[in-house]
Amino acid sequence: MTKQLPEWLTPEPWLNLEFSSADIERALHADSPNEKTLAALLSPEAANHLEAMAQKAQAITRRHFGRTIKLYTPLYLSNFCNGGCLYCGIAADRRAKRAVLDEAQLRHEMDAIKAMHLEELVLLTGERMPEADVPYLKQCVSIAAEYIHNVNIEVFPMPENEYRELAQAGCTGVTLYQETYDQDVYEKMHRWGDKRDFFARLDAPDRALKGGLRTIGIGALLGLADPRFDLLCVYRHAKYLLKHYWQAGVSISFPRIQPQLGGFQADYPVDEKMLAQFIFALRIVLPEIPLVLSTREAARVRDGMAGLGISKMSVASKTTVGGYSDDIEDSTEQFSISDERNISEFCDMLRAKGLEPVFKNWDATYRESASYMKPEA
Amino acid sequence: MSDKLNIGNQELGSRLFLGTGKFSSRQAMIDAVKASGTELVTVALRRFNREQAEDDLYGPLSELEGVRLMPNTSGAMNAKEAIRAAMLGRELSKSPFVKLEIHPNPHHLLPDPIETYEAAIELVKQDFLVLPYIPADPVLAKRLEDIGCAAVMPLGAAIGTGKGLSTAEMIKIIIRDANVPVVVDAGLRAPSEAACAMEMGCDAVLVNSAIAAAENPTAMGAAFKTGVDAGRAARLAGLMPTSEVAVASSPLTSFLSVDD
Repeated sequence: MTKQLPEWLTPEPWLNLEFSSADIERALHADSPNEKTLAALLSPEAANHLEAMAQKAQAITRRHFGRTIKLYTPLYLSNFCNGGCLYCGIAADRRAKRAVLDEAQLRHEMDAIKAMHLEELVLLTGERMPEADVPYLKQCVSIAAEYIHNVNIEVFPMPENEYRELAQAGCTGVTLYQETYDQDVYEKMHRWGDKRDFFARLDAPDRALKGGLRTIGIGALLGLADPRFDLLCVYRHAKYLLKHYWQAGVSISFPRIQPQLGGFQADYPVDEKMLAQFIFALRIVLPEIPLVLSTREAARVRDGMAGLGISKMSVASKTTVGGYSDDIEDSTEQFSISDERNISEFCDMLRAKGLEPVFKNWDATYRESASYMKPEA
Repeated sequence: MSDKLNIGNQELGSRLFLGTGKFSSRQAMIDAVKASGTELVTVALRRFNREQAEDDLYGPLSELEGVRLMPNTSGAMNAKEAIRAAMLGRELSKSPFVKLEIHPNPHHLLPDPIETYEAAIELVKQDFLVLPYIPADPVLAKRLEDIGCAAVMPLGAAIGTGKGLSTAEMIKIIIRDANVPVVVDAGLRAPSEAACAMEMGCDAVLVNSAIAAAENPTAMGAAFKTGVDAGRAARLAGLMPTSEVAVASSPLTSFLSVDD
């Protein structure tokens, strides 16, 4: 495997720059933010400007997204997995209780999600397994699409034709984190299986968008490698996707290593203040991109970050298979939820902060028509 | 003197139209709508939610007296999607209006002129009063007028940027040549910019972010009303011509006498 990141992705030129307080001031007021702006705002020096960064992030978020937070929830279809991710609670070598939803169970889950009035969903599985392969996913997407407007997937990378099949079944978008853009760490973390192929994962967003999916969510699992390296890569990856797929909706998430089965410890722990700084930094350099925060984070952090850069949040999440309807007696969760509030508690919090929870922000009427395709040269 | 605005066969008393996204709550939206005195508000089809009243923007707006609704096709990436959204919006709202809005790039939300033109042809055939949101392109504006759009809505700047009348020179040409109402849509930040647009000869303005993202949206709704009213009154009153130099009190040509 080549160890060279492609030129469009490598963060090297901006990695080891030194920034003064004046540089941070300049970055905060940059007319055309770029990699150097981001490197400055991610730097340790910028931690001394956290309040100014927060103010700026809030103003930008309000201008572009209004006083609203878009809501979604994850639904675990299967936790069967042959993957060897060191940090994951459902990796193949964990003594996990495995389960996969059948149609009736999925429908029960959808009833429970529908009862919360949620209209955006992410369907999740582990790596590609006979129990949960593409034909199964297609069926699940179609079923979920009967219930709610906006159905997305967070599964294994696949070829363009399979993404197209899922788009045709009613899937709107894909979430796929590279986990880390540091190839040495990536190799260490992913001990076996298909996921060891760094570039097959890196190119998957391209294939998904070529296959007709509308949105792509990217991110790095913070804590695995130098977060400044990873977040510069996330930024460059987002910019690349925006330039090459001008109709694509690109969003960025900020998953952070939390304790789960296997007792994995992050080599590069990211504390709350750093997380906040990183989110503010990305908001300042990417004003128009939805930034997402999940229930991995504690209620206090989520409450504080809502509208402060973050424009979209998961809510009432369950990370076990069958977790919404309790159909399956016991299955192992992929990671632990930190914010366990139910949907009305969470929405009450948002409203008390002057933020409107938005349940429905897309309509199934847009689902079936073919997306614009670049004319063949 | 009556100064009603006619769009198609519909008469409107207010020249301020409101967008309804981005508010902190439905009550904040309603309060701003009322304070603005608007008679036409636009609601994205994607924000119609028939299954959850709490999340539905259409319901509370439809109950407001004296306010008409104009569904918009925001979220549509091409003509086909916009046409479907317009049909569904009409079915749900019974409104004769549609704000035709096609922005294939979900980040900058700039309108696609090609898809907009194609969708407009079909929607006019289907008897909609079509108000297309367009780039400030005078040729496109005439093409849309020619195929029967009820108004044209050129952007002042990109949605949500608050960069004001960045396209003023193009909008002036659109106004000069138009036989349908011209509505500046998007980009405005301050009531003074709305006044400016009206002084230039726009027939109305459509505002959303500037009100929803203001510190006090209700007060800003009222401020935009004042701005629009002042600009319109100034337009009707006739602005003094501008001049690069002082006007000489003894004109250079005073020696030219009428032949006697």
